[in-house]
Amino acid sequence: MELQDLPLLSMLRQRMTWLNQRQDLLSQNVANADTPRYVARDLKPLDFDQLVGGPGAQNNSLLTTNSRHIAISSSRSGKFEDHETPDQEFNPNGNAVSLEVEMIKVSDTQAQFQAAANIYAKAMTMMKTAIGR
Amino acid sequence: MDFSKSMSVAASGMRAQTDRMKTIAENIANANSTSPVKGADPYRRKIATIHNNFDRELEANLVQAGKPIPDKSDFRAQYDPGNPNADKQGYVKLPNVDSLVEIMDMREAQRSYEADLSVMESTKQMLAKTVDLLNK
Repeated sequence: MELQDLPLLSMLRQRMTWLNQRQDLLSQNVANADTPRYVARDLKPLDFDQLVGGPGAQNNSLLTTNSRHIAISSSRSGKFEDHETPDQEFNPNGNAVSLEVEMIKVSDTQAQFQAAANIYAKAMTMMKTAIGR
Repeated sequence: MDFSKSMSVAASGMRAQTDRMKTIAENIANANSTSPVKGADPYRRKIATIHNNFDRELEANLVQAGKPIPDKSDFRAQYDPGNPNADKQGYVKLPNVDSLVEIMDMREAQRSYEADLSVMESTKQMLAKTVDLLNK
């Protein structure tokens, strides 16, 4: 078992990966705010059930038959799904990105990432308390 | 985690807006240029184009400024019989640049640039927060 296999830490890790990927998508949207025929995209919301009981939370690491085998971490690093979400009615040039909506999403993502990072740090402090440091 | 991707995408947007700004500046600077040769056409307004292309390495839609296309609309004509470039009726051909339209376009480019910049700022802060975890 690795530290990142703990449910709390692996959930936070997934949350941060999701937020990071969302930031990638949002920056794509903002950069393409004037590109003809570009439609804004966003990630599908992170599902709590999936985080807790889904395939990502299950321990599906490879079996090790020798003490010198290196165990593969169970947490998934796969990509989250994204889809098109037009922010507004299409411009005459076919563009559907609203800078305002995107900026709100960017600052929202940033704040949530900060929250996740802070909770991660707190959880690590708890671990340190447990080992008496 | 990889924050460099969103940084690169925002940077590509900024580059495209800078190229667009260059075309707009050309138009505004040449708003009143007449032809050096008598009877020939003066400066023709250029329209900046922006398109996206999929970058396989980053797996993201980067933005690129395309080749500016010439504006096909008619030139302005100004009555100025004393001008050496004037035709028989006394009209001088001036570029088809409307500075009002150019200024609007410029503001739009500026806004998009600022938006790209704030995405970059926000990504930078997220990265800093992650690096901060090392201090805890």
